[in-house]
Amino acid sequence: MASLTYEGCNFFRQRLVLSTLSGKRIKIRNIRSRDDNPGLRDFEASFIRLLDKVTNGTRIEINQTGTVLFYQPGLLYGGAVEHECCVQRSVGYYLEALIMLAPFMKNSLRAVLKGVTNDPTDPSADFLKATAVPLMKKFGIDGEGLEIKVVRRGMAPGGGGEVHFSCPVRRTIRPVQLTDPGKIKRIRGTAYSVRVSPQMANRIVDSARSVLNKFIPDIYIYTDHMKGTSSGKSPGFGLTLVAETLNGTFLSVELASTPQGQGAPMLPEELGRSCAKLLLEEIYRGGCVDSTNQSLALLYMTLGQQDVSKTLLGPLSPYTIEFLRHIRDFFQIMFKIEPQKPDEDEQKGGEKVLMTCVGVGFANINKTIK
Amino acid sequence: MEGKEQKRHQNKQSGPKAQKKKRRKQGEQGVGPELDERKRNPRAFAVRSAVRMARTFHRTQDIKAKKHHIPLVDRTPLEPPPIVVVVMGPPKVGKSTLIRCLIKNYTRQKLTDICGPVTIVSGKKRRLTFIECNNDINTMIDLAKVADLVLMLIDASFGFEMETFEFLNICQVHGFPRIMGVLTHLDSFKNNKSLNKTKKRLKHRFWTEVYQGAKLFYLSGMVYGEYQTQEVRNLGRFISVMKFRPLVWQTSHPYVIADRMEDLTDPESIRLDPKCDRTVSLYGYLRGTFLKNKSQIHIPGVGDFTVEDLSFLPDPCPLPEAQKKRALNEKERLLYAPMAGVGGLVYDKDAVYIDMPGGHVKQQQEEMRPTTELVQSLMGTHTTMDAKMAASKVSLFTGTAALAPEEVQESSEKQGATERRAWDPETRRERRRAVFTEEEESEGSDEEESDEGEDEEVGKEERKAAKEAAPPLKRQKLGEIGGGGQEVVEMPAFADSGDELEKSEGESEEEEMDEDEEREDDDDEEQGMEEENNRKGSTMPPDSGHCSEEDTDDEDEEEEEEEEEGDSEMDEQSNAALPGEDTVKTKLTCAEEEEEEDEDEELGSDTAGALRWKESLGQKAADAFLRRQRAAPNLRKLVYGTVTQEEGGDEEEEEELGGLFRVSRPEKSQRVRADAADLSRFQPDASHDWDQEEMLASIRDCFVTGKWEGDQDAATLLKEDDELYGDFEDLETGEVHRAKPSQGEQAEGEDDDAENEEEEAPLVKMDDEEAQKNKRLEKKRRLKERFNAQYDDGDATYFDDLKEEMQKQAELNRAEFEGMDDEVRVQYEGFRPGMYVRLEIHALPCEFVTNFDPHYPIILGGLGASEGNIGYLQMRLKKHRWYHRILKTRDPLVLSLGWRRFQTIPLYHIEDHNGRHRLLKYTPEHMHCGASIWGPITPQGTGFLAVQSVAGAQANFRIAATGVVLDLDKSVTVVKKLKLIGYPYKIFKNTCFIQGMFNTVLEVAKFEGASIRTVSGIKGQVKKALRAPPGAFRATFEDRLLRSDIVFLRSWYPVSVPQLYHPVTSLLMPSGQKDTWAGMRTVGQLKHDLGIRNKPNQDSLYKPVLRQKRHFNPLHIPKKLQKALPFKSKPKLRAGRGPTPRDLRRPAVIREPHERKVAALLSALSTVYAQKNKKAQEEQHAKHRAFLKQKEKQEAERQKRQKEEMKKVYRAMGQKEKKRLKSSLKGKSNDD
Repeated sequence: MASLTYEGCNFFRQRLVLSTLSGKRIKIRNIRSRDDNPGLRDFEASFIRLLDKVTNGTRIEINQTGTVLFYQPGLLYGGAVEHECCVQRSVGYYLEALIMLAPFMKNSLRAVLKGVTNDPTDPSADFLKATAVPLMKKFGIDGEGLEIKVVRRGMAPGGGGEVHFSCPVRRTIRPVQLTDPGKIKRIRGTAYSVRVSPQMANRIVDSARSVLNKFIPDIYIYTDHMKGTSSGKSPGFGLTLVAETLNGTFLSVELASTPQGQGAPMLPEELGRSCAKLLLEEIYRGGCVDSTNQSLALLYMTLGQQDVSKTLLGPLSPYTIEFLRHIRDFFQIMFKIEPQKPDEDEQKGGEKVLMTCVGVGFANINKTIK
Repeated sequence: MEGKEQKRHQNKQSGPKAQKKKRRKQGEQGVGPELDERKRNPRAFAVRSAVRMARTFHRTQDIKAKKHHIPLVDRTPLEPPPIVVVVMGPPKVGKSTLIRCLIKNYTRQKLTDICGPVTIVSGKKRRLTFIECNNDINTMIDLAKVADLVLMLIDASFGFEMETFEFLNICQVHGFPRIMGVLTHLDSFKNNKSLNKTKKRLKHRFWTEVYQGAKLFYLSGMVYGEYQTQEVRNLGRFISVMKFRPLVWQTSHPYVIADRMEDLTDPESIRLDPKCDRTVSLYGYLRGTFLKNKSQIHIPGVGDFTVEDLSFLPDPCPLPEAQKKRALNEKERLLYAPMAGVGGLVYDKDAVYIDMPGGHVKQQQEEMRPTTELVQSLMGTHTTMDAKMAASKVSLFTGTAALAPEEVQESSEKQGATERRAWDPETRRERRRAVFTEEEESEGSDEEESDEGEDEEVGKEERKAAKEAAPPLKRQKLGEIGGGGQEVVEMPAFADSGDELEKSEGESEEEEMDEDEEREDDDDEEQGMEEENNRKGSTMPPDSGHCSEEDTDDEDEEEEEEEEEGDSEMDEQSNAALPGEDTVKTKLTCAEEEEEEDEDEELGSDTAGALRWKESLGQKAADAFLRRQRAAPNLRKLVYGTVTQEEGGDEEEEEELGGLFRVSRPEKSQRVRADAADLSRFQPDASHDWDQEEMLASIRDCFVTGKWEGDQDAATLLKEDDELYGDFEDLETGEVHRAKPSQGEQAEGEDDDAENEEEEAPLVKMDDEEAQKNKRLEKKRRLKERFNAQYDDGDATYFDDLKEEMQKQAELNRAEFEGMDDEVRVQYEGFRPGMYVRLEIHALPCEFVTNFDPHYPIILGGLGASEGNIGYLQMRLKKHRWYHRILKTRDPLVLSLGWRRFQTIPLYHIEDHNGRHRLLKYTPEHMHCGASIWGPITPQGTGFLAVQSVAGAQANFRIAATGVVLDLDKSVTVVKKLKLIGYPYKIFKNTCFIQGMFNTVLEVAKFEGASIRTVSGIKGQVKKALRAPPGAFRATFEDRLLRSDIVFLRSWYPVSVPQLYHPVTSLLMPSGQKDTWAGMRTVGQLKHDLGIRNKPNQDSLYKPVLRQKRHFNPLHIPKKLQKALPFKSKPKLRAGRGPTPRDLRRPAVIREPHERKVAALLSALSTVYAQKNKKAQEEQHAKHRAFLKQKEKQEAERQKRQKEEMKKVYRAMGQKEKKRLKSSLKGKSNDD
């Protein structure tokens, strides 16, 4: 069987995840081949190691310089996994991929990921808990096993956080019809602060509320100040906001303070306000799935039964667009993409996209039948 | 049976007698007939025991629940593929005859040679594909997997044969298709009774195999070499009304039974290397589920391949269009069997195939004659034209090579050239290329098949088609020869004309040239044709999707898409060598914003009207720009527009300086993106300023506090509720709420009027009434809905909900892509079952083509995700109870699993109570055991069967084992028991030093703490390694050991499964030897074949047991003890008496001669006496026996007499009793 060939290190996770799910082997060439520091970075190597932990029989070949990677997927095994994530990227980087793989394992996954829980680049564990988990529930991946828990918080440069993720396994995924996002009924959030004054969190809350109060009164932002061992190694603070609609759509944004010693520090008021504005932007984009989890929803739609699934999304992010292309490469699935213009008189944000596809009829062959 | 049956008594239904009877009956009951049992006899139905009642309730519920199946989404296609009817049976049973008869029955046509699948239209909604199954076990396995219905022919004069049972077992394993038995050779029975007996016997045996009451047909005899018409008709009717249940494997995998095969390999490469890999196109109806392009397939008997190209063709055997009449007319009774040479004109993706030798159907032959002659007359000049075409180069626009003079000439005489090219001597088929719109195709084929009257017309059409065919054909040739190394890049085709145009723009210049010429000299039919050519053109330009690529480069700023696109275009315009082509592109981008249909039309007219598009380029460009400003980009294009990797490479080449240095520029978009950070977050749009009031207002309605839609607005809903639930009185306040007068029917009009007046300007009278009516209807509907919802909610169960959900999903599945064009639809869904598809497969082994035998089915089975991989499989296996041997671990076995047949080496194991998988040397006789193999990953729960060899025919039952896949696991867990033996060399109290078990200290260290045991059963533990002899260790035991004890350590050693996966390539064998595939031989076979005999281990041989005599020392009792013992136990110390002394010995008596004589006489006398006595006694015995016999006889007679007498008595008594009873009854009735 010929392998698919890609170039460059971008969309690294997508490729490996889709390869694992489809069973197709891939080869990635020219990974930072023109860079001063060529080859795979530590966090990518760490990601490969994590994949190796949750699978069984995977073959990975990396050349001397690390610019070429060959990946032959094995079977997804799952079980209890503990992984020390590289601090260059946050736990969300690893968690996003794990969420994609977790329902298709042999044993239900219980992962303990250690490292940076919140940083400005990747979605944090709180964020995924707020959005990805309810999204998974819509696809029939629910039950008591499904949980993301932030046990310790570790901010960006130092890390030292810990996230527990557990997910039950499913044989098949349900098709969904998410065409109506509904109206936003409440806004919740968490303002966290570690190794700084607990007052920071309150200041964030006040500023964020000042922006959002114009729209809806039902706003509650929790403050979460972690101390001692559960506060990680670096100081920092941040805010996660979630808007919940009547139909159970969760739109979420987050903003974390700039890591210590990397750029200008941020005031908590400023952070709260800009985070609230980010939420408004997210609401403007709208859709039944928030912009970060678009690819997750599309993946589950692809891996559904051979039925029609529909999802209304906001504008497609570049990451999602590339993901769609990869889905076509790995599963030969194309989505019907119908842009939906907002009505003239309606004030419901920007243009939406209705994504429709027929699932591949994917069944979890790893799951043992008793 | 003799004599007529007497007419039965009929009760009177009316008249006085009946009335009387009725009255009596009522009187007897004492109540009216309307009272039921429960009321009449309440005690009989009283609750006796609550437990019992609960039990009965549970039981009824259980029975009810058992009837439920898990509801599944109905995914059957609207136009299903033909049903596969496999006709199976031992040789000479009449399979071909039956197929022939059935075909004749359905289509009124005679098919002499049944070769490959034969598809016919059997009814308005049903098509059938008949396949004959020969007795090769490979074929049986393959066909059992794809069959919908199996006609199992049984020779009644012979009875069941092994093949029948084997096939039934194969079917059982791979999902059970419908099976119908057909008994033939019934005319060989002369005796009617034996015939009936045989029928019954065979029927019951058949029932035990299939199911009780399975249909078994009887074909009584032959008339002129055919079965009786009426019987065949009955069978045919049964087939056409039969219902099928979905089989799991078939519904979850796409598959195609190829009914046509064409070798597309370049003849030149075959000439150079006759054994080169072939490119082959296979045709057939797609069944099962959706098949996608580039997906993996398995061809049983050949191997795994990738579908390089997949396209659908017009149905060669279409169902008749919807109509009201009951029967099919002659025109619609189609027959399609290309392998048997029927099918006549066959349209391909880019060619038309005409069956030259013909001879099957008369009309077709006639109709083909003219073209045939033409082709044959033109055959001679084939090569010269070829050479010419190879040399030709054409370009249309400035900046490219000029048009060569030969080409002009060529184009003028191209018609002749095409015809010449078309003859393919190898397949003895005329290969022509024709281009047509789809409607034409179907029409053409219809006419071709059936219409006699339109012969000439069809001929004309063909010729026309041939004319049109010329340019594209040549183009292909040019692409192949001239453009040699041009790579074919995957390029999804969109009906969206943007791509088409792009392609045409990107295509080599010659093509453009050709097309233009074509346009000039041809008629209006070209629109569709042109499109199709572009869509399916075999040489795809590598740089197509240019524009979209640029788009994707800049997609990070998606919102600024429009401008970007414009920019990129501008760039291109400046770069490009051919301005004309660029303008085409401009038009393209404008086109992409429009609706698809519009585009199609526009494009069609554009391309058709010879270069008309050139006229108003400027205008169009301007228009396009304006529209781009307004509209959003075509998202699908943005996403799926191809990104070719080659592009990057080209850039690099360009940037090279003098072949030495490379210009290092700030890297361009593509590369930068390839190495950018892997981020899932979507950066917010910088242009949105959320401090501004307008921006805030733009999302106002996303919140519950915003404005609601009309049907959800709380205010409106409330008003409606008011209208519905009229007036009520608030009891607390005593306030009376009045409904609006609109409640009453007559008042409604007024109310609505009022509303109307409030809301809008006065309307025209007519509209007003209409609106009112609508409103009323709407309200009624809503009311009804609400009522229904409330009413149904009561008894809706979980099951019903689930069913409804599935139903909804099925409807959505059907509706979603319904109106869409098939070309587009296949890209979203994949090719749906029921389509007639053409699959192009590359790199098939040449034996597939050279050894092609249409009698062997070619099945293309689609593989699911990761089913193409190979790994370890754990399965549950049971030796078949009819297989006469047990199976040995590590003996190669041929498995049929999924689509595949392959040879592998299984390891048999059994699970111990603690979950350990212990290796077995042989399969158990009557039990399941586990088996681990190295083989293709197949979903769990898939059944498989195993045979030891697929070669040849054997007398015995061939299926060795059956089973099911349990688990897929890459780590092996089969273990084998290993006993390590050691000997104590130093024994302390409970501690020993043991040697001989291990060789090094390290080994011991690994086993520290392990439990060990002696043969005599003393348990112990490994403690610590000793230094002195390497491998010795200290161990403790629960008792003291002897030096002679043997100590052993029981351990488990993991066994690795041998990695042998060897697909059975039976289709590649030379024809006639396809059933002789022999894979790896077992060790036993090898030894047998090579005459090798094992030397037995000397220790294992049986030898006579030699036991040494044991000597025991005398018992020694101490003196002291002796003294203390009682006399009885004291050792008797007196020495044994010696020989008797002489004086004590008695003297011997010697008789005198006289005495001796007397004694002799006496003994003789006594002998005589004894003899006499004996005789007398025997006599006496005999007499007594005779006496006893007589006595017995007498006794028996007496008994008999007595019995008879008693019988008489009893009869009398019985009669008396009866009489008494009768009389008593009479008495009772009299009393009444």
